[in-house]
Amino acid sequence: MNPKNVPENWQEAYAQLAQECQSPALRRFYEAGVPGLSKPLAETPLVSLDIETTGLDSSKDDVISIGLVDFNLELIRLNSARYWLAKPHGPLTPESVTIHEITHSEIQDAPRLSSLMDDLLEAIAGKIVVVHCAAIERPFLYQAAMKHYGEPLMFPMLDTMGIEASIIHKPWWQRFGRQPSLRLDACRQRYNLPRYRAHQALMDAVSCAELFQAQAAHHLNKKHLASDYSC
Amino acid sequence: MDVELSEILDTLCEYAPFADLKDEPILQEMVKDIEIQYLRVGEWAIAPEARNDNLFFIRSGAVETKNKSGKLLRRMHEGDVFGSSSLLRGGRSSHTMRALEDSLLYRIPARWFIQFYSEFDSFSDFFELSKEVRLKTAVDSQSSDLSLMTCPVHSLLRRPPITASHDVDIKTAANIMSNERVSSLLITQNDALVGILTDRDLRNRVVAKGLPLDVRVDMIMTQDPVTVDAGDFASEAVLKMMATNIHHLPVVKNDRPIGVISTGDLVQRESHGSVYVISDIYKQEDVEGLVQISKKMEHVFTQLVNADANTQMIGNAMSHIGVAFVKRLLQLAEREFGPAPIPYCFLALGSQAREEQIISTDQDNALILHDSYDKNIHGDYFRELSDYVCKNLDRCGYPLCTGDIMAMNPRWRLSLSDWKKTFAEWIEKPKAEALLHVSIFFDLRGIYGDKTLARQLNSHIRELAKTNKGFLSALARNANQRTPPLGFFRQFVLDGEGKQSRTFNLKSRGIAPIADLVRVHALALGSSKLNTFERLEDIEEAGVMPDGRARDLILALEMIGMVRIKNQKNQIENGDSPNNNVNPETLSEFERRHLRDAFNIVSRQQEFLKYRYPGKG
Repeated sequence: MNPKNVPENWQEAYAQLAQECQSPALRRFYEAGVPGLSKPLAETPLVSLDIETTGLDSSKDDVISIGLVDFNLELIRLNSARYWLAKPHGPLTPESVTIHEITHSEIQDAPRLSSLMDDLLEAIAGKIVVVHCAAIERPFLYQAAMKHYGEPLMFPMLDTMGIEASIIHKPWWQRFGRQPSLRLDACRQRYNLPRYRAHQALMDAVSCAELFQAQAAHHLNKKHLASDYSC
Repeated sequence: MDVELSEILDTLCEYAPFADLKDEPILQEMVKDIEIQYLRVGEWAIAPEARNDNLFFIRSGAVETKNKSGKLLRRMHEGDVFGSSSLLRGGRSSHTMRALEDSLLYRIPARWFIQFYSEFDSFSDFFELSKEVRLKTAVDSQSSDLSLMTCPVHSLLRRPPITASHDVDIKTAANIMSNERVSSLLITQNDALVGILTDRDLRNRVVAKGLPLDVRVDMIMTQDPVTVDAGDFASEAVLKMMATNIHHLPVVKNDRPIGVISTGDLVQRESHGSVYVISDIYKQEDVEGLVQISKKMEHVFTQLVNADANTQMIGNAMSHIGVAFVKRLLQLAEREFGPAPIPYCFLALGSQAREEQIISTDQDNALILHDSYDKNIHGDYFRELSDYVCKNLDRCGYPLCTGDIMAMNPRWRLSLSDWKKTFAEWIEKPKAEALLHVSIFFDLRGIYGDKTLARQLNSHIRELAKTNKGFLSALARNANQRTPPLGFFRQFVLDGEGKQSRTFNLKSRGIAPIADLVRVHALALGSSKLNTFERLEDIEEAGVMPDGRARDLILALEMIGMVRIKNQKNQIENGDSPNNNVNPETLSEFERRHLRDAFNIVSRQQEFLKYRYPGKG
């Protein structure tokens, strides 16, 4: 199993992972399953997650902050918000600092990501994780689990970027000119959502949750199963 | 606070009522308890019959409020809060709230609202104060006048008080007033102040009532008048006069009266710079000199604004200066063409007549000629005189009127009888369309020459107008043609094209509609006042509008006028030519909110006008 091959059937995959898994925290996570996946979207408990990293390569770069917030199609509850800083193994590159604005001194005393993994798993267990760009978030979290537990971490995701791409998708003969941007901020503007400063993990998580609510309100069928939209 | 939600906190703190709490640590705790909700257009934030447990903050989008019978009460936009009234009633909601466009709302749980409401005065004030009161507070805090703020009341006094004992009769009191040339008399008993008697009291309580003149003055005086202490700041006196709507305020020191200040004293104090300008104008011996002075007008105007004079003071000062230019030009004209062969009166029309002129206003004027006027004999003289005045006014910064409403147009140079006929035509056979072009004539003031001509014409107009329902309703219909830009916060109902396309016009969308609707009421009343503020006082006294509404309009006019004046000052200081267009994006949150309240008041009074003077469409 690796982050490039997403299982067809998550229920089966979770059951198998729960059996094979050695670390108690991961086993608890898989045993909780993803009950929401087989429920209508409107009844599914969701958690929006965003990470900031030192770069884009999950094999070399580190996660330095994580933000998440529970929500559903009605409400985003800020009192459930969690935010962690994590100390990277390598130095921060100036390029990455200009993006996320987290500096050396701020993360010097932060814990390593490893020591946060148990808490992170607990916070997302039993919910469906919503991200903007699963292709980045998924491998980083997979790597983090491999480093800490020596075992894989995989879970279904709702990807607002993927959903937006399918919403604005047009067959090639109808396309002309530049393709619309799929950046978080660009997607939000299509729904009359306010502009936020980007690249702060918790605000990005809130921002992604708002976008998902808007997408659901406009384009998704709330009675359909969450699994119809997940990846 | 943990930095992570600071963006949400920062946004809240840009808007009232949270802005005042921005340094309170508890606000950061509240932010963590917010729930965010996305609504599609048409979805309910508070549905009919639903309970409400949140205070809502509109982060983006727009929401409309309706009452139970479905009447639209208010449209709210980014930065507005709603839901407070149902929270104050324990969650029972009498209004519905529905998204007008896709909106993002922050929901603040009721317990925070209740805690802040009890802990922070600024927070509870925000919700308690009605829109009108909020506006009043705003006007007051804006006119917190630097010079008046720092000068004590006694420094405004120019003479010892004129007093009379409480047991003198009315005739004696009136004689003292006319000998001393004062418009108010302080009434004392054993040297202590017990009352005040004003010109208006003599008119309203004595003459109008037909009271005998040997009645004792303490029977008709205002007892225990509002006073101000000698050491108080003049600004407090201004606020007191505004709040109680009086024009004379006795100044006391240790309970003894030491003088009276009047609104006139305050105006003079504020515009003393302009008094020098006026005396300069009269010293000029030729048009060139006047043109030179006119170049300083922008400076005089910005000085007045910087001194924090209110709009009434500024309108007054600028109008008097404008009148001085006209008078001096007429004197120079009479020197050049010789004295007038028959009596005439030069009329100011529109804002100059109302004494509401500001910088850069077109000239609007006309001429009344004595009935002995014979075109063949006197025609040339008055044509030359009018041409001279109007064309030179143009050189002095009062551009020619684009509608040609000027004395140099022979149509508006008529004998008194012809004027009376013209007005009778307008009033007795009103055509809304035609009236639109001549409404400016209904604000008419004689400023030079034989002013009895203007007075006769004015009383003729008043007599005809107040009894003529068709005329009043045509005028009312016209007054409602220009509506305030209520949607400008988000929908940007903006006027014009090109360079000014992101702006709206404060004069045509705010000040003119107020002047127009007030004029209708004033004409209906037969009021002799021309100034909009003074007309509103007459209107209030007569009880034409529901209680308090006239005061609301005064505040609305002051608010809109103040934004216009400050905008013009900024334009001048940026080297631009001042105009009436304001870009809503350059306004502060404070100005925006109160401007909108003001526009709401105008809009409601336009509705009232429609109801008060109904007419066939």
